[in-house]
Amino acid sequence: MVEIRKLTEEFEGFCKDESRSVGYAESISFPETEEDIRYVVDTMRAQGVPVTIQGGRTGLAAAAVPYGGHVMNLSRMNRLLGIRKCGENWYIRVQPGVVLQNLRKAIEEKAFDTAGWSEEDRKAAIEFAADGEYFYPTDPTETSACIGGMAACNASGARTYRYGAARHYVSALRVVLSDGNLLALRRGEVFADGRTLTLTAENGKTYCIDLPGYRMPDTKNASGYYAADNMDAVDLFVGSDGTLGVISEIELELLPLPKVIWGVSCFFAEEAQALDFTIAVRNQVQHASALEYFDRGAIAILRRQKTLSTAFAALPDVEEWADCCVFVELGCDAEEQALDDLYRIGDIMKACGGDEKNTWVARTATDKETQQFFRHAVPESTNMLIDERKRKDPVITKLGADMSVPDEHLKDVVAYYRKTLHENNLETAVWGHIGNNHLHVNVLPRDAEDYRRGKALYAKWAQKITEMGGAVSAEHGVGKLKRDFLTVMYGEKYIREMAAMKKQLDPCLMFGRGNLFAPEAAEGKEVMH
Amino acid sequence: MNILVCIKSVPATTKVSLDPVTHTLIRDGRQSVINPFDLSALEEALCIREHLGGEVTVLSMGIPDTTRLLRDCLARGADRGMLLSDRAFAGADTLATSYSLSCAMNVLPPMSLIICGKMAVDGDTAQIGPELAGALGIPCISDVLEVKEITEDTIIVRRGIDGGEAIVKAALPAVITVVKDIRNPRMPSIAGIRAAQTMELDVRTADGILADKSRCGLNGSPTQVVRTFIPVREQKSEVIEGSASEQARRIIGIWEGLKI
Repeated sequence: MVEIRKLTEEFEGFCKDESRSVGYAESISFPETEEDIRYVVDTMRAQGVPVTIQGGRTGLAAAAVPYGGHVMNLSRMNRLLGIRKCGENWYIRVQPGVVLQNLRKAIEEKAFDTAGWSEEDRKAAIEFAADGEYFYPTDPTETSACIGGMAACNASGARTYRYGAARHYVSALRVVLSDGNLLALRRGEVFADGRTLTLTAENGKTYCIDLPGYRMPDTKNASGYYAADNMDAVDLFVGSDGTLGVISEIELELLPLPKVIWGVSCFFAEEAQALDFTIAVRNQVQHASALEYFDRGAIAILRRQKTLSTAFAALPDVEEWADCCVFVELGCDAEEQALDDLYRIGDIMKACGGDEKNTWVARTATDKETQQFFRHAVPESTNMLIDERKRKDPVITKLGADMSVPDEHLKDVVAYYRKTLHENNLETAVWGHIGNNHLHVNVLPRDAEDYRRGKALYAKWAQKITEMGGAVSAEHGVGKLKRDFLTVMYGEKYIREMAAMKKQLDPCLMFGRGNLFAPEAAEGKEVMH
Repeated sequence: MNILVCIKSVPATTKVSLDPVTHTLIRDGRQSVINPFDLSALEEALCIREHLGGEVTVLSMGIPDTTRLLRDCLARGADRGMLLSDRAFAGADTLATSYSLSCAMNVLPPMSLIICGKMAVDGDTAQIGPELAGALGIPCISDVLEVKEITEDTIIVRRGIDGGEAIVKAALPAVITVVKDIRNPRMPSIAGIRAAQTMELDVRTADGILADKSRCGLNGSPTQVVRTFIPVREQKSEVIEGSASEQARRIIGIWEGLKI
């Protein structure tokens, strides 16, 4: 059985994640099977110890950072378990610790370690190898993320513009609850009755759950529990930030890979042109799968990085006049279709005051690699800049907003960001998923005062975004860092409803202590902000 | 200045397999691409044109589908393209290929500079550039890392040599072969792609370039491929996972297994 170890200095790394928050814990375990998970859950429940669930620790909201208790790290549950075809679609079953880039590689190369697979799954794997090309559409930038974590925070990526967030591709889940019972859920099988959801564990025990009564924003959203009338039970666990149970197995839907995938970077002299362009592309370009933005600040950081580091020397040069860039990815069935869309993009650029000469079109693997290098270099260079500043003043960290608004508010929200940033004289780099009106507005504090002002600004933005009908966390999840924003978005009443619902499944408040709401709120006490 | 850039179509992937019966490459349905060294050659040519004016012509020899790659070069900024496509060119080794490419000069305007990639990623011979220069009777500088200076009459380059680098000057016309890192190839623009779709490509047979067919293709190739095979890779790697002490134990285990 899995060992429960003291969290010694050797395991210190497991007390932090990519959000750069640092927590603490007394013990740690690395389950390899569902039985291991149940053993740890039973042991911790008996001792009254809270459990923080983690995988790749690539999250940006500190959901995997422990606030005391036990750390259950699932990174060793990294096996692919089987594959099946249903209708025209393929479904792959994985353990939660499978790393995204390994999953992608296995699907792309159609090479699976089938040791331990059933005869049926092995036959299906052979059939899959002979079938066309498929892919898993959820594409966060961080490819070392674990599938379990991606489901837990309802992760997204550039292609969410076309394909939607992680939840759409979770077709089945197995979840270990805090009492050690197992839920096996398949999409399309268990639905709520209005806002009441009844779940039945494998041993027959039933759980009657009152779903929170709020209406979720009509945008890309990873803020708090999914709650809707007659919702599918799977959706409750996707995006639950590790607070309701331990996901021990996930089945993912795979889609046929578009035959032609081209990337187009479109450069503009003014942000207003880029916004008009985005809105027009959204309405007129049929096969766009991603619409991403890089503003003046982001491009400036790249230009700087290119001169500083040989690792970035191969970055293509952005001409001096260019202020910002919108990246469009096309996913088409044939080249003719892609050409049609490409020319339409050119026409739209002209109509918005740009010029189709000022584009980079990546049609070959080499060009796509260059373009991807450019896109990924933006967050990487920003982190390097922040690390540099942090060495001078340890208080400084990057402040990154992850908020989204409905389509009609794109221009309003950008104007609001610009106005408030200008008023506060803050240095920024903005990039992200403009197609979903979801921009990562990053404040780059030069000193502790900038940091303080930036943080205050974020709280103000949460209020404004809520007024616009948006979400305070669109893809990173709420974790521990954004729970105050969640309160702004839904209000104390609904936070209490969320906490009450959690208690129906996790009465000892064992899982994900501090995620979504403060521990006191979960216990029904008044929260001090 | 008129510049000619030679382009080779190569398999899109390095993970090719060989047909055990015919010993030829199984193309696996994947599309061929421009040899990456040649894309850098094209970029160098476009930069020189931006500096000195003139025209950049791309030249390739291959099956009719190669026009797709030449059109990509036009989209990236080349002014014109020529494809040598004829059954008479089939089965050519480097000697026959360089002869055929040199014959294209019978019908093309005079070129001040011919740029080739240092080598192709499939054949790895690095012979075409020097042999082409030989066939045309003009100087060749291979392994060029940087074009330092160029005028209508001369070129000064920095080139790699065994154990170092050399600065070399040559009179034009000349052939240079360039390394991949000489330039990062630009991507085509929408405007470039739009224009390239309707541009004429000059497709020529052996007769169309006044070539002696006995020196083309298999007829003109003294090289014979006796056998091709995939080398066996014996090197294996293992990812060591676990806590620091577990990883250390595994390393000690491997060490002990080596009995050294």
